[in-house]
Amino acid sequence: MTWLTWRQHRAEALAAGLFVAALGAILLTLGLPMHSSYHDGIAVCFNGAFIDPAMCSTNMARFQQDFGYTTAVLTMLNVVPFAIGAFLGAPLLARELETGTWQLAWTQAVPRMRWLAVKLTALATLTVALTAAAAALTTWYRQPLDVLNSRFAPAGFDVEGLAPPAYALFAFALATAAGTLMRRSLPALAAALAAFVVVRVTVETALRPRFQPPVTLTRNRFEVTNDWVLDSGFADPNGHHLSRAEFEAVSDAADAANTNLTTYLHDHGVQGWISYQPAERFWAFQRIEAGIFLALAAILLAMVVWRVKRRAL
Amino acid sequence: MSTEHALRTQGLSKLYRRTWALRDCTLALPTRRVVALVGPNGAGKTTLLRLIVGLIAPTDGTVQVFGQSPTTNTPQALSRIGFLAQDHPIYPRFTVADLLHFGRSCNLRFDQDLAERRLSHLDIPLHRKAGTLSGGQRAQVALALALAKRPDLLILDEPLSSLDPVARREFLQTLMVAVADDGITVLLSSHIVTELERVCDHLVVLNHGRVTLSGDIDMLLATHRLLVGPRATANLDHTPSVIEATHADRHTTLLVRDEGAPAAPGWQPHPVSLEDLVLAYLRRPDHRITAPARDVSEAPR
Repeated sequence: MTWLTWRQHRAEALAAGLFVAALGAILLTLGLPMHSSYHDGIAVCFNGAFIDPAMCSTNMARFQQDFGYTTAVLTMLNVVPFAIGAFLGAPLLARELETGTWQLAWTQAVPRMRWLAVKLTALATLTVALTAAAAALTTWYRQPLDVLNSRFAPAGFDVEGLAPPAYALFAFALATAAGTLMRRSLPALAAALAAFVVVRVTVETALRPRFQPPVTLTRNRFEVTNDWVLDSGFADPNGHHLSRAEFEAVSDAADAANTNLTTYLHDHGVQGWISYQPAERFWAFQRIEAGIFLALAAILLAMVVWRVKRRAL
Repeated sequence: MSTEHALRTQGLSKLYRRTWALRDCTLALPTRRVVALVGPNGAGKTTLLRLIVGLIAPTDGTVQVFGQSPTTNTPQALSRIGFLAQDHPIYPRFTVADLLHFGRSCNLRFDQDLAERRLSHLDIPLHRKAGTLSGGQRAQVALALALAKRPDLLILDEPLSSLDPVARREFLQTLMVAVADDGITVLLSSHIVTELERVCDHLVVLNHGRVTLSGDIDMLLATHRLLVGPRATANLDHTPSVIEATHADRHTTLLVRDEGAPAAPGWQPHPVSLEDLVLAYLRRPDHRITAPARDVSEAPR
């Protein structure tokens, strides 16, 4: 079985391996100058030693200018978990059903449950290993950016840590299940992509901000750099959050009184408020996000096993 | 008793969504026979064969191959069955040598020498990709793979339907040599009777998901005959021994199953060909097929 699994999937395995290797080479090539630029000019601004604010802001501006493209690079890395997982998962059963070879494979002396167990284990392990390597490289690449920006940004949270391997395993399970139902690799891949995007976007926009209750602060001045700000606005002295219309009214009143808006707000006890997820929740959120996708993957794989077990093919 | 039969099914049924692909199929196939499973397209042949090799599970009833249920899917049960599915599926990107490696690594016993001998005899190079072989060669490779398992029961689903006449002949030749050498039981399906007549000694007719006839071919031909006589006017549909009545202008031809009893006066007995016999059973309307057909292979000789 080991030989068969390798012989049948070596082309995809090698392609996925090369893909991750190329990705690693690109990240190293782009990352090394960024890391050295950060260490030479910016790191000192954060280690609490003597700080020359002018030098820091100049260096940071130059850094942002030189490496401003990184967000685009990191956003592109979003396709990696799906590419690897679905690429390995879609043909697992679909190709056998497409070419009729399931009848050949399951009439040798290897019981089909063992056949399925070996294949699922081998390819799922490869999926997780490759995406974990890609995520580890991305996490290294992002180190300077994690200090400067919030790690919760989509270009951070979605491509580093535990989330990418969990996304990949979900994509693998989704493509395998779609292949089992649709019996063809390419339509299965397309259906898996659509479902993957829907689930990822839903979790990211509807669930992730609520993984833990956000912290709300009402103050005159905030210093948040790496926290994930969900919402912000103004609040009256009673703590009531002003709607846009209410704030317009306050702003009009300031104009009518011919007063500077900031002074007006200060005089009338109107303060700013923000609702945010603190930066130190990053790993807790990563664990929750990974947990959701691993659970979804487990459900899908259980469905595949169940269908093969009761021969409902 | 069960070990004397290569295959026994009891009330075997398979329901796909709302249609019965196989209905109440009771069969007992003796060992060391070459059995033809004949029926029109959609009769349930593939369903029956897949049930026998355990690829699908029955909705109802049981199936036993050498006393073991293939549904359990144990390595031991799988080892005794060789299966060649319709269109001879093999991995197209594997070389022939890869396919032999596959057989070796996925079976408890696998006679690599035998397979290599057969393939070299047929001039099929081991380094060729399976996808580049001709249809006949692919069928031969798939057959060599199935035979190298040294199965006790070999199941072939429409093995000849996609082959040209030359490839058909070669395929059957290989098969017959293997049967002679190894003494295996073979069950092969087809919708054409004539091409199986030379190689098969047992017949199962399947129609509309039911077994309508089953028995050794010699016995079936001995117990059926055509009676030609004056045009009959009576409705013979309910006479149990009359399988089919064909009326011409002045004559009536009856296909009867009468164990060779003396014909009524005025009726001329004639032997029936296997093809006509099968066609008559296939033409029988659905409502006349009520009880599972008697298995005449167990009748005294």
